[in-house]
Amino acid sequence: MSAETAHTTRPDMIVCENVDKWFGDFQALKGVTATIAEQEVVVVLGPSGSGKSTWIRCINRLEAHEKGTIVVDGVELTNDLRNIEKIRSEVGMVFQQFNLFPHITVLDNVTLAPKWVRKMPKAEAENKAKELLEMVGIPEQASKYPGQLSGGQQQRVAIARALAMEPRIMLFDEPTSALDPEMIKEVLDVMRDLALGGMTMMVVTHEMGFAREVADRIFFLESGEIVEEGTPEHFFTNPTEDRTKLFLSQIL
Amino acid sequence: MNEPATIKVESRPKEPSRTPREWIRKNLFSNTPNTILTFIFGAISIYAIRELLGFILSGERRWGAVATNMRLLMAQGYPANQFVRVWFTLGCLMALSGLSLATWRASGRLSLGKISTWTMNLGGGLALFAILAPISWASRLGWIIAAALFLLVGLSMWFGLRDSEKRFSGSVPTVWFTYGFLGVLVLSLWTVPYGHYAFVDGELIAETGRTVAMSTKLPFTVMWLILVGSYLIGTQVRQWIPIGRTKAVLIGLWFLSPFVLNWIVLRDPDFDYAHIASTDIPLALMFAIGGGLVLYLLSKPDLGEIGRIVAIIFLIFAIFNWVAAFFGWYPMLQKVRISFVLLALAALVAPNFAADKKTRLRFVASWIGLIAVSHWLITAINSPSTLKLQGPTYLGGFSLTLFVAVLTLLLSFPLGVLLALGRTSTMPIARVLSTAYIESIRGVPLITILFFFSNILPLFLPEGMEIAELAAIVTGYTLFSAAYLAENVRGGLQSVMRGQYEAADAIGLTTSQRTGFIVIPQALRVSIPPLVGQAIGVFKETSLVAIVGAFDLLRIAAYVVPSQTEFLGVKREGLLLISVIYFIVAFSMSKYSQKLEERVGLGER
Amino acid sequence: MIQETPPQNYHHQKPPFYRDAIVVKWLFQLGALALVVFSLWFLASQARDNLAARDISTGFDFLSVDPGINLSEGIDTRPATGGRALWVGMVNTIRLATAGILAATILGLLVGLARLSNNWVVNKLGSVFVETLRNIPLLVQIILYGAILANLGDLSYDSGWDNWVIWSNKGLSIPRVFIADGFYQWAIFMLIGSVAARWAYKSRQRQHDETGRDTYPWIASLGVLGAFAVIGWFIHPIFGWVGGIFGAIGDGISKIPEEVLQAALSIIAVLLAGNWIRNFLRSRRTPGGSAQLTDDDKFRVIFSGVSAGLVIVVVYVVWPGLSSWMINSSSDLFGVLDDKFGNGRSGGPFGADRPEVIKTGMFEKYGPSGLTMSIGFAAVFFGVVFYTAAFIAEIVRGGILAVPKGQIEAANSLGMKRSAALRTVILPQALRVMMPPLGNQYLNLTKNTSLAIAVGFSDLVQVGQTVGNQTGKNLSVFAIWMLFYLACSLTISVVVNFFNVRLRIVER
Ligand SMILES: Nc1ncnc2c1ncn2[C@@H]1O[C@H](COP(=O)(O)OP(=O)(O)OP(=O)(O)O)[C@@H](O)[C@H]1O
Ligand SMILES: [Mg+2]
Repeated sequence: MSAETAHTTRPDMIVCENVDKWFGDFQALKGVTATIAEQEVVVVLGPSGSGKSTWIRCINRLEAHEKGTIVVDGVELTNDLRNIEKIRSEVGMVFQQFNLFPHITVLDNVTLAPKWVRKMPKAEAENKAKELLEMVGIPEQASKYPGQLSGGQQQRVAIARALAMEPRIMLFDEPTSALDPEMIKEVLDVMRDLALGGMTMMVVTHEMGFAREVADRIFFLESGEIVEEGTPEHFFTNPTEDRTKLFLSQIL
Repeated sequence: MNEPATIKVESRPKEPSRTPREWIRKNLFSNTPNTILTFIFGAISIYAIRELLGFILSGERRWGAVATNMRLLMAQGYPANQFVRVWFTLGCLMALSGLSLATWRASGRLSLGKISTWTMNLGGGLALFAILAPISWASRLGWIIAAALFLLVGLSMWFGLRDSEKRFSGSVPTVWFTYGFLGVLVLSLWTVPYGHYAFVDGELIAETGRTVAMSTKLPFTVMWLILVGSYLIGTQVRQWIPIGRTKAVLIGLWFLSPFVLNWIVLRDPDFDYAHIASTDIPLALMFAIGGGLVLYLLSKPDLGEIGRIVAIIFLIFAIFNWVAAFFGWYPMLQKVRISFVLLALAALVAPNFAADKKTRLRFVASWIGLIAVSHWLITAINSPSTLKLQGPTYLGGFSLTLFVAVLTLLLSFPLGVLLALGRTSTMPIARVLSTAYIESIRGVPLITILFFFSNILPLFLPEGMEIAELAAIVTGYTLFSAAYLAENVRGGLQSVMRGQYEAADAIGLTTSQRTGFIVIPQALRVSIPPLVGQAIGVFKETSLVAIVGAFDLLRIAAYVVPSQTEFLGVKREGLLLISVIYFIVAFSMSKYSQKLEERVGLGER
Repeated sequence: MIQETPPQNYHHQKPPFYRDAIVVKWLFQLGALALVVFSLWFLASQARDNLAARDISTGFDFLSVDPGINLSEGIDTRPATGGRALWVGMVNTIRLATAGILAATILGLLVGLARLSNNWVVNKLGSVFVETLRNIPLLVQIILYGAILANLGDLSYDSGWDNWVIWSNKGLSIPRVFIADGFYQWAIFMLIGSVAARWAYKSRQRQHDETGRDTYPWIASLGVLGAFAVIGWFIHPIFGWVGGIFGAIGDGISKIPEEVLQAALSIIAVLLAGNWIRNFLRSRRTPGGSAQLTDDDKFRVIFSGVSAGLVIVVVYVVWPGLSSWMINSSSDLFGVLDDKFGNGRSGGPFGADRPEVIKTGMFEKYGPSGLTMSIGFAAVFFGVVFYTAAFIAEIVRGGILAVPKGQIEAANSLGMKRSAALRTVILPQALRVMMPPLGNQYLNLTKNTSLAIAVGFSDLVQVGQTVGNQTGKNLSVFAIWMLFYLACSLTISVVVNFFNVRLRIVER
């Protein structure tokens, strides 16, 4: 499997084995096999429609895969309600479109899940939320509504909301694609801090700078298959596959 | 963004001020066809107004019929010596309204320009009336003077403000304007005599000499004082108590008020205290304590799906109790059956409160509160009324109309939301069932449903189970309006983005939490305007209960009054009057919903 | 936390059923279904017992028994059977609804345009009309109109206006245009005519596209239609043979044995379910050939199979009379068509007449020549028309205001004439917005005619209520009401949908 396994000493966090996923008669994932260790940061690249979103959405079961095995933090993803519950509360996810809840304040957005899923007392949840908002750099916006924030601020709230559940894994699906250029940096900074803090992260992004700098490993997906995987140096300097070269030549 | 309403009003481009001459030219005589239209339709309007006034003021009209039957129209045969209950009810509603107005700051401000326009319009209307009405010249003069007065006030306000910005920016709070207006109405009771009829000792007695004002001017003044006073209190309360808590309490009170006011205040149940002490209180205690213990255990953290399984077993048991009741397998108090259903539902939501001790205890406390209130209400509903009634029901006339409308709306709301959720859910059977229900109900007229429930429903019920006429009607009406409500809510549900569901799933909310915290609040926000429209419809269509025999406003005006010996066949007067009553309520609701629509700004926030 | 656990360990880990998301989902639904079915079954059995206890028989046999009632008006005021009585009620309802829809549309359109007018008087009149009429309950209006009409003067020879419009407390009478004997054959002509007109429209349009000349396709097609109408007026009896065809079809249908239809229905159900399942499975099949049916999918397949089985059970066991009823009623239908289209129906397709007052014995009454509306009819008619027109006016106004201003400006900037812009740009877009709510209003109007019971007009609900009270068959009557109104709703939705689709094509 993976050629360079610098992380074998750490336990596996996400194990995908021969994962297949169909939408009707369209196969979006074809035998995806990968292992991601604790504290590892992987970036998933690939052309549009290659199945990047589908893959990471399978990992917290927003989509159900049809064949193969996905094991997240020792829990296999099946129809078992208990497992789904467990994984949802251990895997945080950040969406391209932020998907903040527009009808409640920023603070409520962040405290909702801790209060109702983790059953945290209100005061504790709010303190934690304020800490997190501080960490993502917007402590003063707590009582505003999401619609009153800029895109970059919204995305940082979304990260805080996901972190409030104290996840062991964070998934990012193109977190900066809906942002204006000047806001991209503030979100990427937060993500970089998170990675340095030792979070296990799986990131779909088109920010090559981020990938090169922060990623431990890069997966290149095309037509639902992992075409190439490797460290950033390997990937950006001497990729082996032609399709990867083509992709890089288009994007760089 | 915070207050879109005010922004909207102020950012409207000011109309370029035109002289009256320019205005008339532009709006009435801009070109030949326009001029012709003006003349034709002006003539038609003048003719119509004259005819209408002629009809209203004609000597053949017997307005005494409605004036003397005011009490019948409002409260039907409610015993006169118990009227203090009616006033108490109205007082509670006034107090709640005043507090709510202050808490929600529901109303905006009226610009001075608008007020002066209204005054001028009123003056103009009066002048038109004075000129067109077929009345004597002497009385015409009086009206003309009144009109001139209003016109003068309005004009001087308008032109007095001409050069100051005040005409548009100067304003008074709408609430105070409304209170002043109501105050004037109440004051008029002290001077203008309206006649009335009364039921005394079971007989209809004409008291044409006396005025309604003699018996109602004091109470109405008190009502006005309560309204204004509670508003003032509300504005103070804002500063001492967190606004969220006040809102929660008020919503709870509003929800409880129809039940408490109707069944306990108005109906005055004759509690059997011996029975209450021997059965009701022990029962309630049993459920409060036993149920509380069970819920405390069920909300233990890490109980996992055992909790859910227990809750499902409870639910099956609770439903089974009703089945058994229908077959008569074993006896059980109705109250106990209802309590078991409540317990099962509470058990279903228990996992949501599985946290620290404090949360769990609070959950148990609200359970005890629920049991206390529901047992109290059920006992009251089951006790006979102490009222000595002449009519078939203690409610009648406008009060019945309002009661049916409010109860129907309250009851059909949860059902409608459930149906809408069913229709939009991913579960095929649930979708098919709700769609079939909604579409078949929407396909048939309300009147057939009402007939079904008042004539045919008794056939479906097991022997010995009776359902009072009014209950049958409200049940039918509720089931009917729920289908329409569901369609309105469905529109809102469909406007909730997919991403919201996914985000809720991703942070680990359960399906019911996702629905309750994320989906429904957003959906309802969008569907508020159509829901208000629906509420207006429900209010208007309560008139149909008259056909199936309930003594609502319409039935009294169209059938009861014309059959009194003094007023045999006097029908049009009463119908016109109730048209005005219906119009005022429906029109103000629709205006309010338009305001709301502007304020919600659809799609924002 | 796991230490290098190979994923193979996780295979074949089926959760217990109460934790399996799919199983729980379907169990919940089946539970709900069972609850509904059980309640229905339970209520039905209660009703049967209660009816038996009260010595009332259920069923529809009252349809062929004399109910002994008189109806206030309709095609038959002394119906010989319950079925006939209900049929009269249905005809009255349809009459009222059709006339109401026509009048409300026209009035609503006018009022809606008035509300858009620049003329202050017209504009305000429109607003007053809308705000007043839609905020007063329809039933109150109907009873009020009834009371006003009932207070008109007595009928005499000089009531009303010169034998054009006559009004009195016996009702209103206006000139009448009626369908005469030859109408149905003439309708065939018009059917052919509309096909021809369509062809003319298309070919003119093509000419316009090719040459760029103004070819007035609308005028051409209307001309063709007019020509057919005129020619058909005189020679329509040549289509008398069509009736014979309908008669033959009716005879053929009545000869179909019941068993054949039963079998056919079952086969259709099975075929439909089978087809659905096949398509479903095919959509799940992949080039890879692996069948990845989820549990959810399996449940779906099973469910559709069971539904087909249910149809068969209904056809053979629950309601064995269904097929014979279908055979009888459709052969009856063709019998009626045979009569309408048959030979020997000469005379023009339409006739027209003015109202008149005649005197029989002591009393004046309306003669048969005018279109006479009883007080009841008129009260309901004006009620539903005014009420619905107020709503339609708002729809019209909203629809036209919904067309973005830029559209009109764009049309103007292209140098289009005002009328051309209205026809090709504004109306199609406005109509598209207006159509669905308009259809809703038509549905409401039809359902609202049921309020006729308040003024004693013999619509279906009023007749049904009388018949039901007379025979105790309220339950059966309710079923008939339900079916009738559902059929009306369906018809109107189909028609509205048809126009909706057409409009979308126009727009494209
Ligand atoms: N719900 C769905 N139903 C059907 N097809 C889908 C669905 N979601 C995704 N697909 C298809 O699956 C394929 C993979 O989609 P996916 O969103 O994973 O691509 P992606 O790599 O994230 O692309 P992008 O960079 O544009 O976001 C696409 O061809 C898409 O059309
Ligand atoms: Mg994507």
